[in-house]
Amino acid sequence: MTKTQPWAIALILMSTLLNATAQILYKLGADKFAFDIYSLATNYYVVAGLITYAVSAAIMIVALRYGELSLLYPIIATGYIWVTIATVYLLNESFNVYKLIGILMIIAGVSLIGLGSKERKSIPEGAA
Amino acid sequence: MSASIYAIIGVLFASILGAAGALFLKFGSDRLRFNFWSLLRNRFLYLGVLFYGLSTLMFIPMLRYGELSLLYPVASTTYIWVILLSSIVLKERIGKHKIAGICAIILGIIFLSIGN
Repeated sequence: MTKTQPWAIALILMSTLLNATAQILYKLGADKFAFDIYSLATNYYVVAGLITYAVSAAIMIVALRYGELSLLYPIIATGYIWVTIATVYLLNESFNVYKLIGILMIIAGVSLIGLGSKERKSIPEGAA
Repeated sequence: MSASIYAIIGVLFASILGAAGALFLKFGSDRLRFNFWSLLRNRFLYLGVLFYGLSTLMFIPMLRYGELSLLYPVASTTYIWVILLSSIVLKERIGKHKIAGICAIILGIIFLSIGN
């Protein structure tokens, strides 16, 4: 079993930030959306979003190598937090108590999972 | 929040596909070597990307038959499937903290859906 390196967690967090960025870029590009190849290819937001998404996926794949899947994968849920914050500040969507509770619960959940991955001491107390 | 039962089942299935994709990516990542040829022949990476793609392709049409505010939380069951697969296939240790954490995350996603 791979012991999870702390910087694998940092990499996953970076990946989720990029993923959220990609989603915002898609959303911005959705305004100018048209279903033809030329329009899509020159839709800078969509193109930028795809590149950002590809980079985020690459970083995530590398990060998975250095940790447990059951610890690293749930951290992806923090992406919801970044997207929510971004849409509130950048796209002027409403912020409400439900979003606040949701964010806090995701933070709590990810923290619990991190707590649950601390390795227990292999040598019992008092052993010579 | 409403959705047809087919949409819910469809999203559940898409979530399982997504979890399988994550598992394949983990396999592929474990076997990762940073040279071009090895990357090209890493079958698990291909499988992972394929399953992730299928999962997304399945999810989008389901939105026609159900509201996002319900289907998004159903999609969050992916985290449950990943924990299950990690435990059974990867033999990772899943304690009560991880289980509680997943529950909190899913609740959080439900709240976010309500807030949207």
